[in-house]
Amino acid sequence: MIDVQDLTKQYAGRTAVNNISFQVEPGEIVGFLGPNGAGKSTTMRILSGYMPATSGRAVVAGFDVFHQSIQVRQSVGYMPENAPLYTDMRVKEYLHFRAELKGLSGTAMRRRIGEVMELTGVTDMRKRLIGNLSKGYRQRVALADALVHKPKLLILDEPTNGLDPVQIRHVRDLLRNLKSKHTVLLSTHILHEVEQSCDRVIMIHNGRIRANDTPANLTRQLRSTTLLHLEIEGSGNLAEKFSAITAVRKATEEELLVHPWRRFTLRVEPDHDVRDEVMELATQQKWRIREMHRQLPTLEDVFVELSMNAGTPTDIPTHVL
Amino acid sequence: MRIFWILLKKELHAFFVSPVAYVVLALVMVLNGFAFRAALSVLENAPSDGSIVSWTFHAMWFWLSYFFIFPLLTMRLFAEEKKMGTLETLFTAPVRAWQVVGSKYLAAVIVYCVLWLPSLINFKFAHWISAGQVELPSGAMRGAYLILVVMGMFNLAIGCFASSLTSNQIVAAIISFTLSLMHFLLGIFILVVGRKISDTIVDIVNYFAATEHIRIFTAGLIDSRPIIYYLSMSLLFLSFTHHVVEFRRWRP
Repeated sequence: MIDVQDLTKQYAGRTAVNNISFQVEPGEIVGFLGPNGAGKSTTMRILSGYMPATSGRAVVAGFDVFHQSIQVRQSVGYMPENAPLYTDMRVKEYLHFRAELKGLSGTAMRRRIGEVMELTGVTDMRKRLIGNLSKGYRQRVALADALVHKPKLLILDEPTNGLDPVQIRHVRDLLRNLKSKHTVLLSTHILHEVEQSCDRVIMIHNGRIRANDTPANLTRQLRSTTLLHLEIEGSGNLAEKFSAITAVRKATEEELLVHPWRRFTLRVEPDHDVRDEVMELATQQKWRIREMHRQLPTLEDVFVELSMNAGTPTDIPTHVL
Repeated sequence: MRIFWILLKKELHAFFVSPVAYVVLALVMVLNGFAFRAALSVLENAPSDGSIVSWTFHAMWFWLSYFFIFPLLTMRLFAEEKKMGTLETLFTAPVRAWQVVGSKYLAAVIVYCVLWLPSLINFKFAHWISAGQVELPSGAMRGAYLILVVMGMFNLAIGCFASSLTSNQIVAAIISFTLSLMHFLLGIFILVVGRKISDTIVDIVNYFAATEHIRIFTAGLIDSRPIIYYLSMSLLFLSFTHHVVEFRRWRP
């Protein structure tokens, strides 16, 4: 559905997107993840035919984005960041205008407008001026606009930006339902969203692709440490004793709990489980444990790690790159 | 072409749901009323060579409206869309740049033409109420409205261009006002220094001067040169606008 080869975009003196390549298969939901200014929006604007790349090539739905821009725009539903809309139009009027522009007409168009309004939950707002709508509703109107011509590919730039948690969940469900009919490329900096709704994640930072894999694989492959949280009753220097376990990199005592309970965090080598050893140690030493909880690394950790290490590429785990 | 009509409809809608069109219409009607009154008082006091039509369009009031119309009608066209980001939604729909530029421009021209309809009523009414005493020479009428339309088209094209340059409507208005004013001042320049410079220069400047065009056309003389001049200049500025809008899509 999308085939990007060595795409580069330079603005006056600044490289926004640096030689990226990736593919998206039909029916996939792919999340574009990266901190602000990473090049997500620029890539999406190029793919939607809004502006050309400096070099490289992108094919969307079988059409070249530069040479066959009109055909690309017909097969793409694009929702820009912040959902810009004509504030002096009413919701239904606006969707009517957009549907006409995208080549729909007659009863088929009216039916489709009804459908997308229902789908995005703006039917009750159809007679309201867009200028008087809340951010959440504007976002939905923009989404309805992106969907109205049944595009093969949906490109959504931060679709849940500025929505409340209930609305975010609504959008997420909507995306999952769309999966059967559309391919979706969405960008976000909310990690939870990607973990919940995407088949694949493309992490982008400083205009380069840092990782391209399923959310589960990414977190699994991450070579950052697992954490083990403990609440324990015992006296003496427990941290030292924990550190004696080979797979424990570091043991730290957290804030004081009500005496005699103490809390520890153990940093454990990746792919190691030390819970049994901790249990043994505790039995041996007659410590009482009331909580033990293992925290696996989340996508958030991958993300933070990638962003933090961006300046020094050697620190980035090679298999993630 | 279908896309063009859809866009045109939307642009006209935007003019008439916002107060802009009505404010400009009111302003033009008031200033026209003053211009018309000034013309009547000229004819009242002494016999004159000029008709009521030519005196009306020579009044200071007419020129006052002339400068306000164009920035007010055109400043919004592109600047607002740029500011709000809707240019991005617009250009990711299957539309071409010429369709967008053309529809915005034509909508402005249509609104502009509507602005002059009330002045037509002034003339007809004076003719009717005076039982034909106030003459309306058909040549002067045709000439006056023809030059009004083509001059308007030229200035609206300048306004379009100004609006495409910036995302700030005020800046757009100032650019378009300045360009229109500079064009107008060419004629004033001749009025001020006309006797001190050579006739060739006077002729050349008069070829461009709006005041001179108005003088000729309201006298009932329809000259094809100014018409071609204004239309070709409109096309030039529209193509500038098109380039500015398309610039985004240029590739090194």
